[in-house]
Amino acid sequence: MDGTETLSKELQEIDGVITKHRGKHGELLGILEETQLLNEAQFLSEEALNHVALRTGVPLSRVYNVVTFYSFFNLKPQGKHKITVCRGTACHTKGSKALLEDIGLILGCGKALEDGEAFYTTPDNEYTISTVACFGQCALAPVVAIDGVIHSNVTTATLQKLLKKFSKRRITS
Amino acid sequence: MDSKMVSVRINGSEYSVPSGATILDACKRAGISVPTLCFLQDVAKNASCGVCLVEVKGAKSLVRSCTACVRDGIEIITNSARIRDARKTNVELLLANHPKECLSCVRNQNCELQEIAAELGVMHDRFVQTKKKMEWDTTSLSLVRDPNKCILCGRCIAVCGTVQTVHAISLSNRGIKTRVSTYMEKGLGNVACTNCGQCALVCPTAAIVERDDTDEVFEELLNPDKVVVVQTAPAIRVGIGEAMGMAPGSLVTGQMVAGLRRLGFKKVFDTQFTADLTIVEEAHELVQRLTNKGALPMITSCSPGWTKFAEHFFPDALAHLSTCKSPQQMFGALAKTYYAAKLNIDPRKMVVVSVMPCTAKKYEARRPEMMSAFEHWKEKRAWSADDAFYDVDYVLTTRELSRMFKESGIQFASLPAEEFDHPLGESTGAAVIFGATGGVMEAALRTAYEVVTGKTLTDINFVALRGMDGIKEAEVDLNGKKLKVAVAHTLGNARKLMEQIERGESPYAFIEVMTCPGGCLGGGGQPIPTTWEIRKKRAESLYAEDLGKTIRKSHENPQIIALYKESLKTPLGDLSHHPLHTSYQKRGLFVWKTNGHRKKEPVSTK
Ligand code: SF4
Ligand code: SF4
Ligand code: SF4
Ligand code: FES
Repeated sequence: MDGTETLSKELQEIDGVITKHRGKHGELLGILEETQLLNEAQFLSEEALNHVALRTGVPLSRVYNVVTFYSFFNLKPQGKHKITVCRGTACHTKGSKALLEDIGLILGCGKALEDGEAFYTTPDNEYTISTVACFGQCALAPVVAIDGVIHSNVTTATLQKLLKKFSKRRITS
Repeated sequence: MDSKMVSVRINGSEYSVPSGATILDACKRAGISVPTLCFLQDVAKNASCGVCLVEVKGAKSLVRSCTACVRDGIEIITNSARIRDARKTNVELLLANHPKECLSCVRNQNCELQEIAAELGVMHDRFVQTKKKMEWDTTSLSLVRDPNKCILCGRCIAVCGTVQTVHAISLSNRGIKTRVSTYMEKGLGNVACTNCGQCALVCPTAAIVERDDTDEVFEELLNPDKVVVVQTAPAIRVGIGEAMGMAPGSLVTGQMVAGLRRLGFKKVFDTQFTADLTIVEEAHELVQRLTNKGALPMITSCSPGWTKFAEHFFPDALAHLSTCKSPQQMFGALAKTYYAAKLNIDPRKMVVVSVMPCTAKKYEARRPEMMSAFEHWKEKRAWSADDAFYDVDYVLTTRELSRMFKESGIQFASLPAEEFDHPLGESTGAAVIFGATGGVMEAALRTAYEVVTGKTLTDINFVALRGMDGIKEAEVDLNGKKLKVAVAHTLGNARKLMEQIERGESPYAFIEVMTCPGGCLGGGGQPIPTTWEIRKKRAESLYAEDLGKTIRKSHENPQIIALYKESLKTPLGDLSHHPLHTSYQKRGLFVWKTNGHRKKEPVSTK
């Protein structure tokens, strides 16, 4: 990154994003958000973060602080489908841990979902399973979001139904 | 602080305090002590620990006195059952996730967490651990981080970011996963960290400590095949006494020498010898740059945190750095060439240990270019790469040396004063003051003046360069040519002068930079705590030692004169180039991409 090499397309686009946000309120957050959206796998690569730090002059450690603080930011490539299980107190008492384990069984990634918390992308990059501390939908507990759609009062049976579509596709494709 | 006074009531008595004061300040002024843990005067104010709680009449909850300010008529209570209970609970919560390893911890009996737990009467281990065990960061050659012992006080982040403007560390994640991290968890050794150790100096616990080399040194001392010599930096003689339980600033040069002999070092030498040598070389370098229109201002290069800082943050301005090696490295190179030859010692069997106030010196000694003695001998003796050795083998901080003394049962305070060995133990007053901010500049001017003018400098005390102001300036008249010089300590202040250079607005010919607040006497390897009050006491002792020396100009050191006569011939000459001068590399910020030059793996740590 000494200025002589030509920048990849992604880094050029990031430059555009940075120019757009320069001087605006919440500059760094805005830049990072849009940079992540630019990325096909919806994540912030190290190269992208280096570039943002270099161009904005924000210290690398500070960039890291921000991207690890907000759960919106991903440091790893995201699967095509996003499954988010709420692990808040209400959902927990209504059995969200078991749901998480079910997902692990159905998608074949049981080991990675052990501690009642998860952030896992299946090796084929099809699914990302994550947990949140609370969706704010406690009345509907337990809550699972699949590709942005919130499903309430989820049971093992409904979960199986919901995931069937995916796993079928997965098996047949 | 606002000069308007307001009236406050603390524990029932009236006091008048400045209106901008925090409640903690107000209590201090009133002579009432309030316990604190995360708060650190002039450095950190994160209000994270909740140890400094007090009651304020009318407030619903208890108030953190380190950040809350007074207002007129405020009524404060600093001691009640509710306060005691809350303070204690907050510490108990910290302890829940803290390893209870005091007995085998390097900060045992020098730990603020331990102290506060004792002070507040914490007697129970009430809460269960909720955090998972985290990996140590052992990537740095200077420091080791144990995140399990971190109480998230934020002091290290504040000192690194605000005082040093390095920002090598920051908080990461949130909630229970919050921790102190380097970028992408790469580790201190793989990011732009200067190794200054100020983070370790302010850490209340053992979450950041110096890499411990005492076992290795003990082992070398027991090896009959090795000739183990030691050099001591100026700041050790005003620090080691303190670390051994004496009053801050105690000047203990003679006892230190005696103690080192008791440990078994064959020769006890002084880094001040090569500090004098640095001055002679550097003063000539300045004169050369002035006459040949070299890069000006010239900037001192003896502080390895600073040189690394420049390599990371000002890679295009490295021509301003003096090419002189630091006194530590000059010493190592000369010990294993000049001195080894003089005494007919096989340099491969010689072990050079330095005692430094500094953690960055550990890194400096492992820079791959710091093998000039080996380079010197390898052709003459047809040695292979297997024979390779560093100029300086081990660097111990003041704190490590104190541990060695204690382990060896040395009753430090009652040791007789002894003298350094010759010839590498001889030094002048100019070398002593290297340990204080402004000292190198003052020493250099004492010599440069005489080199340029050929006249004797009569008033050799450059008082304007002394003291603890962040940036100091002076003007000297060298044969009618007026030179402006500046002195900066802390990397934040150095950054200001560097930005001035980048803008093309620097009025200076010569700048001294020291990485640590107060200079080396406030180094990252010095006794804990190091406060401004203590720094001032250490500085006073150094200036007193200078005053007491009969020779106070580096170029008048008889052993330096002899060294040039017998070996180096002339300052900046061909013979001095290799052992005494060095070059710098453009590192930039993305260190992990350019790293990988480390030749020897770092030694293991306890
Ligand atoms: S850091 Fe302090 S409290 Fe923690 S184990 Fe070490 S001495 Fe004990
Ligand atoms: S050693 Fe200095 S530069 Fe490195 S993390 Fe600590 S304070 Fe920052
Ligand atoms: S490492 Fe030390 S100074 Fe830094 S936050 Fe943790 S306890 Fe505080
Ligand atoms: S000292 Fe005030 S909150 Fe820690």
